[in-house]
Amino acid sequence: MSNDGVYEGAHLDKDDPVLKTRGLEKAFGGLVATDDVSIEIERGTITGMIGPNGAGKSTLFNLISGFYEADAGSVFVNQTDVSDMTPPERAHEGLVRTFQTPRRLEGMSVREAMLVGPGPQTGESIFPLFFSADDVTREERANLEQAEELLERFEISHLIDQPSTDLSGGQLKLVELARAFTTNPDILLLDEPVAGVNPTLANDIKRFIRELNEEGQTFLIIEHDMPFIMDLADPIIVLDQGRVLMEGSPKEVRTDDRVIEAYLGGAGP
Amino acid sequence: MSVATWVNDTLVRDPTERRIFATLAIITALLVVGVFAGVIGPRFLLFQVALVGMYALLSLGLNVQWGYAGLINFSVAAFWGLGAYSAALLTAPNSPLGMGLHPIFGFLAAIVVSALVAILIGIPTLRLREDYLAIASLGLAEVIRLIILNERQWTAGSSGISGIPSLLEWLPLTSAATTASIVVVLLALTYLFLRRIHRSPWGRVLRTIRSDEDLAKALGKDTYRFKMQAFVVGSVVMAIAGAFYAHLNLYIDPSDLVPLTTFYIWIAVILGGTGSNRGAVVGAAVVIAIREGSRFLNDIAFIGNLGLDVAPLRLLFVGILIILIMRYRQDGLLPPKDELIWPSAQKESSAASRGAAASDGGVVTDGTTSGGPSDGGENQ
Repeated sequence: MSNDGVYEGAHLDKDDPVLKTRGLEKAFGGLVATDDVSIEIERGTITGMIGPNGAGKSTLFNLISGFYEADAGSVFVNQTDVSDMTPPERAHEGLVRTFQTPRRLEGMSVREAMLVGPGPQTGESIFPLFFSADDVTREERANLEQAEELLERFEISHLIDQPSTDLSGGQLKLVELARAFTTNPDILLLDEPVAGVNPTLANDIKRFIRELNEEGQTFLIIEHDMPFIMDLADPIIVLDQGRVLMEGSPKEVRTDDRVIEAYLGGAGP
Repeated sequence: MSVATWVNDTLVRDPTERRIFATLAIITALLVVGVFAGVIGPRFLLFQVALVGMYALLSLGLNVQWGYAGLINFSVAAFWGLGAYSAALLTAPNSPLGMGLHPIFGFLAAIVVSALVAILIGIPTLRLREDYLAIASLGLAEVIRLIILNERQWTAGSSGISGIPSLLEWLPLTSAATTASIVVVLLALTYLFLRRIHRSPWGRVLRTIRSDEDLAKALGKDTYRFKMQAFVVGSVVMAIAGAFYAHLNLYIDPSDLVPLTTFYIWIAVILGGTGSNRGAVVGAAVVIAIREGSRFLNDIAFIGNLGLDVAPLRLLFVGILIILIMRYRQDGLLPPKDELIWPSAQKESSAASRGAAASDGGVVTDGTTSGGPSDGGENQ
């Protein structure tokens, strides 16, 4: 797997990988969705992940974040083996993801929805609500302040009292990004952050991701919108038929014959 | 202060809620007038108050599970029965256990037993999709009923347990007044407890789980722990209601553990407004009003002359009421209104923002397909 001279896929043995997978495999019945995937995400990068439909991007996300159990292989966050951890435990290790089609939080305002992010909160256990109420108050105030600042920064502070159910798809994606950021993650996995988002808002999202990245936030982003991801991410990992086809700069990816083949030529042998 | 905000937020801003509270006030006033006019026996009315209180406790318990966390529990009657039988077996001198202990031990046993059963049923089901708890709880309800019915040497089976002592007999009140006061106190304490844990980060995570459990997991919330806590808290509240009922009715038998009891509580929660504590209480009152009130329909001359036994049709009335609510007020009579944010952390401006939220809520209700036509019609 890690005999790097022969390995043709992703670039391994990076200096400081915040996320690392080794030989991840997952099959659904006879269909191999993820086939021996080993990747590394260097700290401080925005890494893109592309591939034709059915290439196994979402499955890989689910394996990394723990929503699927891998048939084989392991996942490391900050060099810690998280392979046997549940999704919330992986989140505590610093690996936080968003979803391709976020459900709207029924009966919750944007303010409330934002406050779910930080954690673990003292007030999330029952006893402190009665016996250390002051700590709960202090934390809640700080979290409220952080939520308001982030919404302001993402230029959606006017939405704070809106019910989550009233948001447009694009606004929801922004709130999701802001909320995911409140968890203070080491790496953020974004699943199609601009799918179904109008171009203006998509540009805003791109700008915010870039700003957060300049402050040191690492991203791994699945995206179908080629101009968006080619402009934003470097390096880019290309998946095809459950395998890593290649990894490289946007330019290398754009001109690689195998990538063109995968997207245009279909999956034939 | 808080009363003033309540008046301001509810009675001034929300006309529908104003009408609901006005109706409730009129009905209460009529009942009191009825007592003074000698039409309604005070003993009877106090017994009804105690029943409403007990149902309200059950609804509050189910509201924690279904309303807060989205857990589908079809064994409300079973947890209620566990509480009632714990109290009856320990306190009644002629129960099969024949211990005749002080009622406080009955309540403690109810809490412990229901918590244990909730944990046992939660361990295998709460990690799975929500439907598994629904199925398992259906089974649990029948299992507990059949055990109580058939294990006569422990539970006295279908002959039931009588001779359960009344509570606080030393109080200088009639026994009806005593039980009614006790349930009011129990209800108030439970209500305050639940409100505190609901308007908090804890309640917020539960509401997130209810909408999108995967999202909660992705944000690092151990959803299994939260669901287990909600399930246990709700079940314990139901068992307390059961223990209280044993001391209210002074007799208990397995016929009350039928699924119909569970069904009534679900109706109460849905009628009142899923996720809303005050809704659960009001929903319970409405269900009891229909259940008990329909007994007297035959006494009304006009209906009596129809030559029709109307009382057994009470389920029909409940059904019609549900349809009306679903049509005209989809979120229940008093849907949840508060933001689940720790109250003492909200800023000075919170009153203003709460007002804004409340008016937003009104807009939303108008926007929904069901609420739109009726509200619009009344405004014109």
